Amino acid sequence: MDQILQALANGLLLGGFYAVMVLGFSVIWGVMGIINLAHGEYLMIGAYLGWGLFRYFGMDPFAALLLILPLMFLFGYVLQYVLINRIVERPHLMSLLITFGISIALANLFKILFTSDPRNVSVTYNGSVELLGITFPIVKSIIFGAALLCMLGLHLFLQRSRMGKSIRAAAQNRTAARIVGVDINRTYAVTAGICIAITAAAGAMLSPTQAIFPFMGPPLTLKAYTITALGGLGRIPGALMGGVVLGVTETMVSRFVPGIGTNLGVAISFVILVLILILRPQGLLGGLRPVDPEAE
Amino acid sequence: MTHIRVLALGLVALIALVGCSGIRAPVVQEDAPAAASADDPTSVNVIRIGAAVSETGKYSREGRDTRQGYGTWLEWVNNEYGGIDVAGKRYQVELVMYDDEGDPDTVARLVEQLISEDRVDFLLGPYSSSLTQSASAISEKYDKIMVEGNGASESLFERGFRNLFAVLTPAGNYTQSALKMLAEQGAQSVVIAYEDTAFPTSVAEGAQRWAKAYGLEVLGVETYPRDVADVSGIMAKFKEVEPDIFVGGGHFNDAILFIRAAKELDFNPKAMVITVGPSNPKLVQEVGADAEYVIGPTQWEASMGYEDEYFGTAAEYAARYEAQWGEPPTYQAAESTATALALQLAIEAAGALDTASVRDALREMDVVTFYGPINFDETGKNASKPMGATQVQDGEILVVAPGHAAVSDLRYPAPAWKDR
Repeated sequence: MDQILQALANGLLLGGFYAVMVLGFSVIWGVMGIINLAHGEYLMIGAYLGWGLFRYFGMDPFAALLLILPLMFLFGYVLQYVLINRIVERPHLMSLLITFGISIALANLFKILFTSDPRNVSVTYNGSVELLGITFPIVKSIIFGAALLCMLGLHLFLQRSRMGKSIRAAAQNRTAARIVGVDINRTYAVTAGICIAITAAAGAMLSPTQAIFPFMGPPLTLKAYTITALGGLGRIPGALMGGVVLGVTETMVSRFVPGIGTNLGVAISFVILVLILILRPQGLLGGLRPVDPEAE
Repeated sequence: MTHIRVLALGLVALIALVGCSGIRAPVVQEDAPAAASADDPTSVNVIRIGAAVSETGKYSREGRDTRQGYGTWLEWVNNEYGGIDVAGKRYQVELVMYDDEGDPDTVARLVEQLISEDRVDFLLGPYSSSLTQSASAISEKYDKIMVEGNGASESLFERGFRNLFAVLTPAGNYTQSALKMLAEQGAQSVVIAYEDTAFPTSVAEGAQRWAKAYGLEVLGVETYPRDVADVSGIMAKFKEVEPDIFVGGGHFNDAILFIRAAKELDFNPKAMVITVGPSNPKLVQEVGADAEYVIGPTQWEASMGYEDEYFGTAAEYAARYEAQWGEPPTYQAAESTATALALQLAIEAAGALDTASVRDALREMDVVTFYGPINFDETGKNASKPMGATQVQDGEILVVAPGHAAVSDLRYPAPAWKDR
């Protein structure tokens, strides 16, 4: 029983991270209909920022979020305004190509800047606490808390603020939103800014738990894709559910299948993806709505 | 149906992205120096040597060490040694290198390109057993010699190839000296986790063999995939069986993951033996104090007592390397230099450039270099070189086994994480 609870706790913590990691990917896709293949690279940038601020300014990676969020918001805003807005209304292949290009350019830029040595953030409080017979890794628990905060913040922003309403309007019907006076270009730029900022924040949170290197992105993008298919597009509860389902499945399988558990845990996410595409292509929560038909 | 099409399209693109992260194969060509220019007729002889080595991808770190190891030899042979001596004639060396991106299909394509388009005379190996496996299949097909120093898996030499030679100790022996030493210190049980690719599999099979030989009980064996991002599942399982020794066989990134996960889960084996990583100073830099007590097998360390007439002692080689690249050599770098040196010595002994003569010279080779003895057995493995073991002690990587190369005593058992 203890073992099951322990595996469940590990899975939940992993799932919380997955959820915040996937938010940006899912919202950008939901709002603009763009599959952002450079998603993993934004995480990578965040992780490097976390590492750099820690290494050279002694800043804790979680405190560094206060700096990383606005910085990456700006980055995302400009990138969207200058580059992505030009192709949002073009066929999907264009956005795939351009984000694929950004992904390669960023990974190699970081390789030139920082070499491919794996980097690491060694926080002093890395360790564990025991609670009710279950071991909780401290760093991962903090990540879980921070992830919930990010999700809550984004949820309130989208539901309550005027800008959030514009974003949702643009997602539902671009043409109608335009007619009632929503500045689509600006709305998209703000959306991208927020999404990329949150993604980079997730990367910074990741930095104390695993090695950081320029080519860490693509596997994370793939994982984001699976979770989005699980949870639905642009839905925060969906991202949380998808992340937790994937996290718990992975840990359970790797914990209880002897010998090849970890292999199987990774493979299982793709089995899930294939099953969803066949059985429920609209996502488990039914949130994978068609994107704006004009974009086709 | 739009969204299904989008999903499918995106999926295809993603697979392409993961499959070939970084779609490019840049030529990193280190030309022979100006001495080989056409206006000097006495030195236009050039030997072209090719290699596909990771510059990007999972093995980019070790790949760089490999490139720099080759580069150290190239610099020395062209500028200091005066070129390879083939029957009295000096040949400058031109080294053609490509980035294999850590991908077995890419490396095969690039080796084919090196042989058929760049027309190289000889090949040096890539980094890692899996890539060597696929690269050597091509060189064998074209009957080209490939000397390598970074593919230690025994399975490479069980295929009956005639043209593949490796200067490094085979993977099955990696953990031998560490496990022997730990068994002598009173350790009784061991758990093993390894990446399911060629080299770690060989290491792990060897570890199980040696564990049995030294009377250690194997309490658990787990595998994990390449590009793993989290090993806490494995470590949680191991924590429950309370082993004395943890053996982790993988590559550099995995070493960081293992140490992280053990600390996070409060998993306290008395010794951690990790295949690649502990012998590299970067690990200590990145993980800091958590790397203390970690034991690693090493092919070579600068403190070992080998020497030759070309690079001098192991320590002199290390000084030369550091002067050229600004960082101390890892064993991956040293074995890459030794790889190229072995090829050079074989060419000189053969006094010819054809595959058959050089192959015979390699078969008969029996030399001691700064890297250790090189003496290939009939399958192409270097059977004569023993493996060392290092331990991180007070931030330094010190050789603790075998006896004649040791500069410090093993610290065993390691204290629990919370007592450090």
